[in-house]
Amino acid sequence: MMPTSQIAASDAVAIEVGGIAIALRTQDHGFRQLLEHRYAGFVKSRLHPQFEFDIDLFDDVSDPSETAHPDDDVRVRMQDGQWLLQRGDFRAQWDSRSGRGRVRQSRNPYAIDSVLRIVHTLILAKQGGFLVHAASAIRGGQAFLFAGLSGAGKTTISRLAPPEATLLTDEISYVRREGDGYWACGTPFAGELGKLGENLSAPLHTVFLLEQGLENRIEPVATSEAIRLLLRNILFFAEDAELVNLVFRSACEFVERIPVRRLTFVPDQRVWNMIM
Amino acid sequence: MMIMSAVDSTFFTLNEVATVIWQAADGCTPLSDIVASQVCREFDVDPDQAGRDVEQFVNDLSQHGILLVSEQPIPNSPASPPEAR
Repeated sequence: MMPTSQIAASDAVAIEVGGIAIALRTQDHGFRQLLEHRYAGFVKSRLHPQFEFDIDLFDDVSDPSETAHPDDDVRVRMQDGQWLLQRGDFRAQWDSRSGRGRVRQSRNPYAIDSVLRIVHTLILAKQGGFLVHAASAIRGGQAFLFAGLSGAGKTTISRLAPPEATLLTDEISYVRREGDGYWACGTPFAGELGKLGENLSAPLHTVFLLEQGLENRIEPVATSEAIRLLLRNILFFAEDAELVNLVFRSACEFVERIPVRRLTFVPDQRVWNMIM
Repeated sequence: MMIMSAVDSTFFTLNEVATVIWQAADGCTPLSDIVASQVCREFDVDPDQAGRDVEQFVNDLSQHGILLVSEQPIPNSPASPPEAR
């Protein structure tokens, strides 16, 4: 059970993704406004967040006292009971037991965006879910997920979605375990479409592995191949053998329960006639 | 392999060929050498076609700001010679 506290609307923004609320606290009014605008639709007021981060901003990303190097790759590891998250433009620490953390970052909103993504991957790993590089949408009360290599068509199929389909994301899909099933949740993590997903969720019906081709067709995918291709798209950053093992097991269990199909498609709206 | 842009947090999921190119892009080795010594050797593909595909891939990544294309070796890259640093 995580401790909770009612956030003061004056200095914090609570962002809820996948039913998990994370409060971001900053004294910088301008940055708070930026967050409220950036995550519109996912910002919750009068909420008891499960997790909280205090954000300190620095202005000069090239200042060697702030970062080892602005181009440093992301690194996530456990040290002295706390998660340490680091990239060229941010350093964060997070105590998953108390739910509290601190972020020291540049004003680049994508820095906190990356922190949020990483924290959600850590939370989900223990719950049997994951973030995956995939588009997703709800149609007819069911969620469909579209994964594939870059250029395979995630943005294209999102753009082609019919009006009655609700786009959850064109970039990072949120998969949550619920009993024996899985739910897909909307995320504010946008890709080339540049549009936030809707903050909704639905039971996951099928995962489609995208390929563009000369005709529309759906084919089965062998279980081992489905696991391999799904794992290629799952986001996980932590250098932690136990959690990596959990994510691997989650992918295996997921493929046992959710159909994975290869969807070859011509990039026009007719492909959505096959998705229901 | 999946890579993430530090500019806008965009993700790229790479296939096997793209992964080889990404790992070989050390700021010093010419693209033509990467194609000849890595891509064509490991994947048994036509050199001309491989060259075109690699060029398109590299342009895509450079447009997203996660790969720098240069006519000269890039100073301070991991594989650049000491005198160039």
